[in-house]
Amino acid sequence: MTDTALNPGGAPRSEAAMNAWRSREFLMRLGLYLFLSALTIVVLFPILWMASSSFKPQSELFARDMTLLPVDWTLASYVAVWQGTSFPSYFFNSFKIAVASTALSVIVGMYAAYAIARIKFRGRYAFGMLLLIAQMFPQIMLVIPLFIVVQKAGLLNTHIALIVCYAAFALPFTVWMMRGFFETIPEELEDAAAVDGAGILKTFHKIILPLAGPGLAAVTIFAFIRSWNEFLFALVFLQSRTMFTMPIGLASFQEEYTFRWDLIMAGAGIITLPILFFFLLMQKFIVAGLLGGAVKG
Amino acid sequence: MLAQQRKRMAFWLILPTLLLIVAFKIAPIIEGVVVSFQAQSMMRPNPDAFVGWTHYKRAIFEEGVFGAALWRTIVWTFGSVAGAYFVGLSIALLLNREFAGRTLFRALFLIPWVIPEVATALLWKWAYGDEFGVINFLLMRLGVLETPILFLSSPGAAMASVIVVQIWKLYPIMFITLLAALQSVPRELHESAEIDGATVWQRFVYVTFPYIRPTSVIITLLAAIWTFQNFDIIYLLTGGGPADATKILPTLVYEKGFWGLELGYASAISLLMLLCLTVLSVAYLFVYRAQREET
Repeated sequence: MTDTALNPGGAPRSEAAMNAWRSREFLMRLGLYLFLSALTIVVLFPILWMASSSFKPQSELFARDMTLLPVDWTLASYVAVWQGTSFPSYFFNSFKIAVASTALSVIVGMYAAYAIARIKFRGRYAFGMLLLIAQMFPQIMLVIPLFIVVQKAGLLNTHIALIVCYAAFALPFTVWMMRGFFETIPEELEDAAAVDGAGILKTFHKIILPLAGPGLAAVTIFAFIRSWNEFLFALVFLQSRTMFTMPIGLASFQEEYTFRWDLIMAGAGIITLPILFFFLLMQKFIVAGLLGGAVKG
Repeated sequence: MLAQQRKRMAFWLILPTLLLIVAFKIAPIIEGVVVSFQAQSMMRPNPDAFVGWTHYKRAIFEEGVFGAALWRTIVWTFGSVAGAYFVGLSIALLLNREFAGRTLFRALFLIPWVIPEVATALLWKWAYGDEFGVINFLLMRLGVLETPILFLSSPGAAMASVIVVQIWKLYPIMFITLLAALQSVPRELHESAEIDGATVWQRFVYVTFPYIRPTSVIITLLAAIWTFQNFDIIYLLTGGGPADATKILPTLVYEKGFWGLELGYASAISLLMLLCLTVLSVAYLFVYRAQREET
């Protein structure tokens, strides 16, 4: 009798042991799947509950007996939040600011990333450190002097102040991550271009950028998500409802529409959906970028 | 010649980034220090008047708000990071094997990380409700509770409740970095430890953990820095209440600066906060190094 215990990890030798090993393996797999599925449901439960709540009619939201899924599925909450509140304007403000600040930070950041990835200039190390250190300062600390400056410049309650701030705050991460991506591109490709007499910029635009597509996409999504979600600066800089972004607009629902959890849950669904969609679409790149850029550094 | 040209080019390539970083991240710090010694109260004239250490003394001694908020911030940070590390590591260990669908589970477990803070706070607030909250409903149905817990509105439960939310938000980043670190553990080591009769726990402590220790130190430190200065979650869930039970330093700074309209005072508190954060981070790395040299 060859026992698997005597031969751990290796293939069992006899037919019977093989079958026993197979069924044990199968049971373990099954157990793992069941456990992981249960765990996923527990962990994601608040999100599932938000989604379910947003599809319930108001009467079901405040019913004595709660049901996991809506009894009467309805889009009424989404219609109400989109037609009966300022939510659409929050949505478009957020979208506009996120697109503009992302474009700014990615375009500015990619050149800096290329420089520190490829050119050995003096102060390269110091520049990298500066970016890292800049990441460490608390937002809540920076927001006070920035508020004073923005106020003095007469830019309170404008979107331009937020766009530039968001771009600046996304930059360190953008640069670090893109540097990582550029470094994975073989240098010989550029040398060949240089021999042909192409300048740095031309080489970068024609050869590196097209190859860095996935990395660029991941960085863009990161910057977009950051801006889309940002709360504190919007809270401090924006004052009138017409200028609000989604995060602070949605937060203000708590006072404006007390107990209208139908509106709040539908709004939370709308703010989350694009992010979730992008994330699931790009999760491979995002994970790679996260691990390449944020951890190895 | 060419190298010289490239170096000059590098300067122009990094210049816009450098300007933005200096203007929006470095200059504000200096400005913040200056402001913390100025009156800067929106209710009084002459905001630029120099007031010396007044704000600092007031925060630490006269009002004594700083010490209490610092302690709460430490509890909040420690609870969140320890909890997120535990959850993140458990999931990473579960997913650290080959099986079909691994990528799917990996993506699913990452989801809380991408949910916007405002949505995170609001959906938890909805779930935490006393009358119509699903958590209380389930606990009462299961017979665990007789009366609903006031998760966010009782001073005794509020801190634990907000920590749970932060754990939920934070564990994905722990799990994904730890999963990457776990992949560096050589398989053969595990197998030979198993043959030598090591238990699962022993294998974890003596084989796996040494490999993920450096990553663990870095990621818990980063998570601690993020949590220490996190504003959104607590502001949206409790606003620092009830009865100041969850008033951590960032919420205190916001309250003094933007409700109390005393920007100078708020700036002084935020600098004290940065100081504490730096000291704690350095101490953490110091302890880690001392411990590593011992073993």
